[in-house]
Amino acid sequence: MFKNILAVARNPYVGHTSSSNSQTGKPNPTNLNVFEMTRFSTNEAVSLEKTVETAVDLVETSQTDLENVYEIGKCAEWIKKNNYKKVCLQFPDYLLPDSTEVALKLQEILGQTLYILGDTAYESCCIDYIAASHINADAIIHFGAVCFSITSANIPHMNIYEKGSLNVVDLKKSFDTFEGNKSDIILLVDTPYICHLDTIKEVFSVHKNVVVSRIDESVNNNQKITVFLGDNDRKLMNLSLSMGCRNLYYYKPKVDNKMIVKYEMESKIIKRRYFLMEKIKDSNTVGIVVGTLAVKNYLKVIERIKRLLNMCGKKYYLISVGKPTVAKLANFPEVDLYVIITCAMNEIYESRDYYKPIVTPYDVEVALNVNSKNLNFTYDYNSFINDSDLDSLEVNLEEDVSLLSGNVRRNKTDDEKMEDSEHNLISLRAEGTVAHSDHGAGFLASRSWRGLEQNLGGTDAKLAEEGRKGIAQGYSNEKM
Amino acid sequence: MVNFTVDEIRNMMDKKKNIRNMSVIAHVDHGKSTLTDSLVSKAGIIAGAKAGETRFTDTRKDEQERCITIKSTAISMFFELEDKDLVFITNPEQREKENKGFLINLIDSPGHVDFSSEVTAALRVTDGALVVVDCVSGVCVQTETVLRQAIAERIKPILFMNKMDRALLELQLEAEELYQTFQRIVENVNVIIATYNDDGGPMGEVRVDPSKGSVGFGSGLHGWAFTLKQFAEMYSEKFKIDVVKLMNRLWGENFFNGKTKKWAKQKEADNKRSFCMYILDPIYKIFDSIMNYKKDDYEALLPKLGITLKHEDKDKDGKQLLKVVMRTWLPAGEALLQMIAIHLPSPVTAQKYRMEMLYEGPHDDEAAMGIKNCDPNAPLMMYISKMVPTSDKGRFYAFGRVFSGKVATGMKARIMGPNYTPGKKEDLYEKAIQRTILMMGRYVEAIEDVPSGNICGLVGVDQFLVKTGTITTFKDAHNLKVMKFSVSPVVRVAVEPKNPADLPKLVEGLKRLAKSDPMVQCIIEESGEHIIAGAGELHLEICLKDLEDDHACIPIKKSDPVVSYRETVSEESDQMCLSKSPNKHNRLFMKAQPMPDGLAEDIDDGNVNPRDDFKSRARYLGEKYEYDVTEARKIWCFGPDGTGPNLLMDCTKGVQYLNEIKDSVVAGFQWATKEGVLSEENLRGVRFNIYDVTLHADAIHRGGGQIIPTTRRCLYACLLTAQPRLMEPVYQCEIQCPEVAVGGIYGVLNRRRGHVFEEMQVAGTPMFVVKAYLPVNESFGFTADLRSNTGGQAFPAVRVRPLASPAR
Repeated sequence: MFKNILAVARNPYVGHTSSSNSQTGKPNPTNLNVFEMTRFSTNEAVSLEKTVETAVDLVETSQTDLENVYEIGKCAEWIKKNNYKKVCLQFPDYLLPDSTEVALKLQEILGQTLYILGDTAYESCCIDYIAASHINADAIIHFGAVCFSITSANIPHMNIYEKGSLNVVDLKKSFDTFEGNKSDIILLVDTPYICHLDTIKEVFSVHKNVVVSRIDESVNNNQKITVFLGDNDRKLMNLSLSMGCRNLYYYKPKVDNKMIVKYEMESKIIKRRYFLMEKIKDSNTVGIVVGTLAVKNYLKVIERIKRLLNMCGKKYYLISVGKPTVAKLANFPEVDLYVIITCAMNEIYESRDYYKPIVTPYDVEVALNVNSKNLNFTYDYNSFINDSDLDSLEVNLEEDVSLLSGNVRRNKTDDEKMEDSEHNLISLRAEGTVAHSDHGAGFLASRSWRGLEQNLGGTDAKLAEEGRKGIAQGYSNEKM
Repeated sequence: MVNFTVDEIRNMMDKKKNIRNMSVIAHVDHGKSTLTDSLVSKAGIIAGAKAGETRFTDTRKDEQERCITIKSTAISMFFELEDKDLVFITNPEQREKENKGFLINLIDSPGHVDFSSEVTAALRVTDGALVVVDCVSGVCVQTETVLRQAIAERIKPILFMNKMDRALLELQLEAEELYQTFQRIVENVNVIIATYNDDGGPMGEVRVDPSKGSVGFGSGLHGWAFTLKQFAEMYSEKFKIDVVKLMNRLWGENFFNGKTKKWAKQKEADNKRSFCMYILDPIYKIFDSIMNYKKDDYEALLPKLGITLKHEDKDKDGKQLLKVVMRTWLPAGEALLQMIAIHLPSPVTAQKYRMEMLYEGPHDDEAAMGIKNCDPNAPLMMYISKMVPTSDKGRFYAFGRVFSGKVATGMKARIMGPNYTPGKKEDLYEKAIQRTILMMGRYVEAIEDVPSGNICGLVGVDQFLVKTGTITTFKDAHNLKVMKFSVSPVVRVAVEPKNPADLPKLVEGLKRLAKSDPMVQCIIEESGEHIIAGAGELHLEICLKDLEDDHACIPIKKSDPVVSYRETVSEESDQMCLSKSPNKHNRLFMKAQPMPDGLAEDIDDGNVNPRDDFKSRARYLGEKYEYDVTEARKIWCFGPDGTGPNLLMDCTKGVQYLNEIKDSVVAGFQWATKEGVLSEENLRGVRFNIYDVTLHADAIHRGGGQIIPTTRRCLYACLLTAQPRLMEPVYQCEIQCPEVAVGGIYGVLNRRRGHVFEEMQVAGTPMFVVKAYLPVNESFGFTADLRSNTGGQAFPAVRVRPLASPAR
């Protein structure tokens, strides 16, 4: 049954979405007694039998609901109408179990081959143009949660949202007890609940002051109270950041208390920026991690960050490692911090498990560019870069006190001038190459281990011994 | 300035043997600033009549208002010694031939424990210290602390017993009682000196001795003072005894019989202690006759003592007259300046033995020799000990001492911060010095250049140094040693601007504040909170006020003070902790164990440090802490920040590729020791042992990404299995009070988790001293609480105990 489906997916069922918190995070002391001491060296039987962790449970929809949940009819109609020849179906990892069924059903209707895109290289909320362009696809249908980032390429695409359950009666009830229900209100419905849009509109038709709107429609919401209907905190935060509105309320259908609550911006996230900006000013070497290939202007923002770092005399590495993980980013010990270029919904910015701090393009911009001190915080870099101002970047090169280390922060560009005057600080190696003592190679020179030492004659010759047996997760000689 | 001009001072600066750099140190409220005023009045900067009222060195408005010194202040003074006194200076390095004038650079320092970092900074640039002790309250905690610091820096002390007027007028002590008090203070001071100084050391004998004239007595407030020398001179003609011999007779167990005219070594029925008879009796008589308005008596007495009053003073009576009389008879400035000139070392003398304590580099390079010889023609070596705010906002004078060479306006010099290491360019700048200045109390005077042995200020180097640094013209110079403070910034508050839009101003203000105070730390925490950390409540209060009024100039919200904690372990891990790398191919086996008592402090003090030779360090650890020497040789690193009081030891045997992962394991160790497992605080006093390691044979599978997070996780496991504990900073406080108030003290201490470890009566007084440990966290408002619970009878004095004990 798979024979006519070409899955352009690297590794379909491996749950790379696992947020890996449970593995890398520190053990929580309060749970110590519950887990007892087994926690410090896990019995490998547990590891071997353990199913792959995913952040969201895998979804397997019953045959009868399939048509409804994935709106197969609508998809078929869209493809037919536009006469697309090669169409990709992009699924987030947790929806992959349903993917074949959906594809087969669509193929039955359309009579043409469809392609499944799984294991999205970066974030499954963004449209994966790169994977689609492997087969020169005409169009993409994206299933599941979506971030609405402005996209870089322009392949036609359609979003089929996930379907959340919503008790409209509860919503109405909580609205009636909501203190601001007399003023002008806009009710923004998040993607999982858009399927209930008609019911909601019907229920609220009695209230003339309420406008019900989908989150993907642009609405003019001046001077109004906005009520967000949805569960995603990040979306809520982005909403409040982009609108800068004070009157943001939310209603979370998945939370038990069923209330419309005022949204308070998490000051923690904003405060942490101060630390990160100071860190950026302190850093010598910055890793620019490509975390998206889909969001519009990602090349532009990389270019901008590079330019800023150059102007400040900082060294940078451009790193592309697919989806960034703790282990991958710990491989570059010379890097002081990472700027991750990704879509505004990525939760990597909040993770504290990484060896070096992770910052947003916004942080770099505000920390280094003198002309953008008054920007408001946003995860979405598209909201502050505009096309023409690459030349308006300006950096402050004065000596300054670092509030992290308490030392003087030196002006890196000044160093080079000093080097010119004192040639002993720079050492000439072979012809045409120059060893720079600060970053990169200089860092490697400061490491205690610099490569294999031959130690000729120093080590005794030994007979070969029998090594370990079994697999890495647990060798056969290891008890437990 | 009446007495001298800048040009005259500049001339004096070249006569390096006639320079005395000194600081005035004491417990809080023992009268340093007041005493300094009488010196300044002698040097002629302020009118004589106002001495004792002006507090010339308290330059700040809040210092004047609170009557407490906050910042140390320097003044230069000029003083000529008479021929008869010059003979007392026997060492040829202590004065230039044919030169009677002395240039005295004096630094008045604060006495409150919260500002003791200022004292440290003052001691660094001076060679001698005038230790002031209130003879009523005696030697106090802070006296001991500053004296200990002075000795450690090889600063020679002289002693002054202040507030004699109080002893006479308020306490009405008998002459013999007063002598005993003096005797006890001298003894106490000498005990402290003997504890911290080795008589056979390079500084030689430094104890103070009244009979040698290195102890002064008097009243700074009333402006009079004397040493035995003054009285010996008065009597030497009468007795026909040499002044020096007489000085010996006038102190200690020497008794004189007025009838038989014979000296004795013991107290007998009809003889009297010479000190009481010849020194205290005349003073008592004057006090008695004037304070009891016996006009005939004192009018008869004064000519006998050779005191002639000015016409306008003759109408005065009571305390006013007493002041005038005493000041005329025993002028404080004269006595003190003599003591300073005779007993304190010149830079030439002092730098000989101070060089090895000051210079980090080899003791025979050009810079070291320049310092040792105090040579103005050697390369420049100058230590910047603090930053003094200028009237120009955000700019500072860099204040310090020229140890070698000359610093001149416009010259190009290397500015080296505390992190500079020779051969590297970190923390190094080559800049021109914009201006050289003389700093005198509230005034600043430009000066062309300043030669070695002198104290001065620089303009234009402030942006390249945070608080301290070395300035040199010698390319291969090492740093002058960083100062070690007796207190640490343990009390913290979080600040934020009242108006969020002012944040950039706050950040700018914090940076300025960080410069203006030798101790304060301004940091942004990982959480993004702006933290100010200071030595104590008062210190923080002053810092916050400065920040609000001078540095940031915006209204500020502050949190309640909190203290910083440390994490530690109390036992060895009860099992081997294993952690596998994400790819499961690498395994680390480790355990944690507490360090033996004292090792963490040894690391703090630098006795055990990462730069030591590993063999001698291992031997030291083996001898002192019974560490296995082979293991102790394999200390991988210290942490956090590569220097902290935690160790990572390699206890493995014959593991392949181990060196390859060392950098990664060290990185994970630094990370884990910086953010502990309990509360993300720094670790302290934990030793981690690596027992075994399994590694993938292929280097690519054991890179940093695999090892760093794994190490951190493994260390956390080690901590959790080793009974982790939190530690909190603790003050040692000493509370003086009458017996009735002792109960109240216990009540207050109990409520604040404090515990008393010593209680004793002060010999010869009805006062009790209670010594106790008090958690810093519970110390906020302690003084006020204590006062209200003891009816204002208890006076606490605190100092930070170097140890932090596990919190409950």
